[in-house]
Amino acid sequence: MLQRYSASQDMAADPSDPTGAGRSDRPIVAMRDVGKVFANGTIALSGMSLDVRPGEFVSLLGPSGCGKSTALRLVAGLGGASVGQIEWPTSSYTHAGEPEREISFVFQEPTLMPWATVFRNVWLPLRLKGVSRRAATERVMDALGMVGLDKFAEHYPRELSGGMKMRVSIARALVTRPKVMLMDEPFAALDEITRQKLNDDILRLWGDQGWTVIFVTHSVFEAVYLSSRIVVMAARPGRVIADLPNTLAYPRSGDVRTTADFAAASREVSDVLHQSMDVDAHR
Amino acid sequence: MALVTGFDANASGRIASLAGAIAGSERMHYAVISFLSVVSLVALWQFGSMALPSSVLPGPYRVVSALVANVLQGDIFTDIAITLGRIAAAFAIAMAVALLLGFSMALSRTAGIFFHVWIICGITIPALVTILTLYMVVGLNDTAAVLGAAAPVIPVLAINIREGVKGIDTRLIGMARAFRAGRRQQIVSVMAPQVAPMLLASTRFGIGLVWKMVLFVELLGRGSGVGYKIEFFYQMFNMTEVLAYALSFVFVMLFIEVAILGTIERRIFRWKRN
Repeated sequence: MLQRYSASQDMAADPSDPTGAGRSDRPIVAMRDVGKVFANGTIALSGMSLDVRPGEFVSLLGPSGCGKSTALRLVAGLGGASVGQIEWPTSSYTHAGEPEREISFVFQEPTLMPWATVFRNVWLPLRLKGVSRRAATERVMDALGMVGLDKFAEHYPRELSGGMKMRVSIARALVTRPKVMLMDEPFAALDEITRQKLNDDILRLWGDQGWTVIFVTHSVFEAVYLSSRIVVMAARPGRVIADLPNTLAYPRSGDVRTTADFAAASREVSDVLHQSMDVDAHR
Repeated sequence: MALVTGFDANASGRIASLAGAIAGSERMHYAVISFLSVVSLVALWQFGSMALPSSVLPGPYRVVSALVANVLQGDIFTDIAITLGRIAAAFAIAMAVALLLGFSMALSRTAGIFFHVWIICGITIPALVTILTLYMVVGLNDTAAVLGAAAPVIPVLAINIREGVKGIDTRLIGMARAFRAGRRQQIVSVMAPQVAPMLLASTRFGIGLVWKMVLFVELLGRGSGVGYKIEFFYQMFNMTEVLAYALSFVFVMLFIEVAILGTIERRIFRWKRN
């Protein structure tokens, strides 16, 4: 079954382009043999290479400690790689040699500023770029509208439910209209119903906004439901052990979860994940 | 299987009015308990004064009458102004040094280890010894009085500030960095608002400690101010004036605490209110 996945590397990634014919082969971000060693000597990541092409929805799936969040943070520029390189082939570079990444980040927790209203939280990324409140208002309200929270602009985070806070966090990420959306287990702390609803929201926004998404998760079902490609990682040291294109057709809705194809895909990904954990156990 | 799909608008209205009624009764409850608290405190004082000779513990009526007479006469304001000036100077010095120590100890491990011993010594040396030493070293003047009032407060405030800075949510700093915030932007947008509640709490705490120290230094080595007057009337065995002067300053400090700091707190920390 793994071979079936590996042999179909050209599967569709863009929901508006189900054949994948119009997709650029030039990656938007490329990790080249990247390794990361922490100050305490822990090898968080070893020899990771990954090309992510425009419009793909790539999930990094693996057990705790496999380096998936570390990989995402390196892509975000939060800390440097100990070895290897992260390239942005389609981006221009600043005079300082920094790539002009049009990225946004959604964290595992909403990480909202409790003293600021929903509006001010979503405005933050624009404010940091020097955009005034007046100039930002339309974009902030647009972003809030996309996550269905435009009526809550003047509320404080403590007045919102967990799911609503996460929606604000997503609105904050999309207000800069990024090309690449990096998401670090954003729904891990939410209840199942809210999680499924936000999964649908993310798929809709991915389709509408033309993002490239790198999504970290430890849930096989979430990875299969969302992704066009699933990168399975193993721990000690963190590394990629399988790169599996997802053959399920887009658009996907909640009904997909009850189909035989979804069950089969989940089983295959799950098998790969368990193989990686068996390897770990015998190391 | 029955599915509830409708929403009763009347029920929503009823809940809103119930919530309003509960909030109203909460406020009433707070006001009644606070009033009873003040009444019981005055009653305790009254009972105490009835049990002891009035030269030892005069009653509330007698003390308040003396205070009113002092206010009408006007001399008391000079002493209050002098003491307030010393409090302001001592607090400014204590807060500035404590901020420097607290922040450096929280942000630098080396500074944390280095100043730890200083802080422990500062806490364990009795305030009386610090004040007397400063009077000997600097001289019996206002500079020594202000430094003497500030010095014993610094270690306690520094520990308070250190713990507050350590409590900063680093996830928010990570978030700001992920959105490409520079160092200055991180401090202004994410760190300062987190530190603000702790700074206000430290201000309250610091002023409360400093004012007691200022009375102490005035009592030990100054010829003016509320502390000096309390000492003077104590030597005269005039407990009514001792308590009247003390009460005058309690009112001044209550004004600073409730009217000034309380208002600032309500304005800045609106987001915390339920």
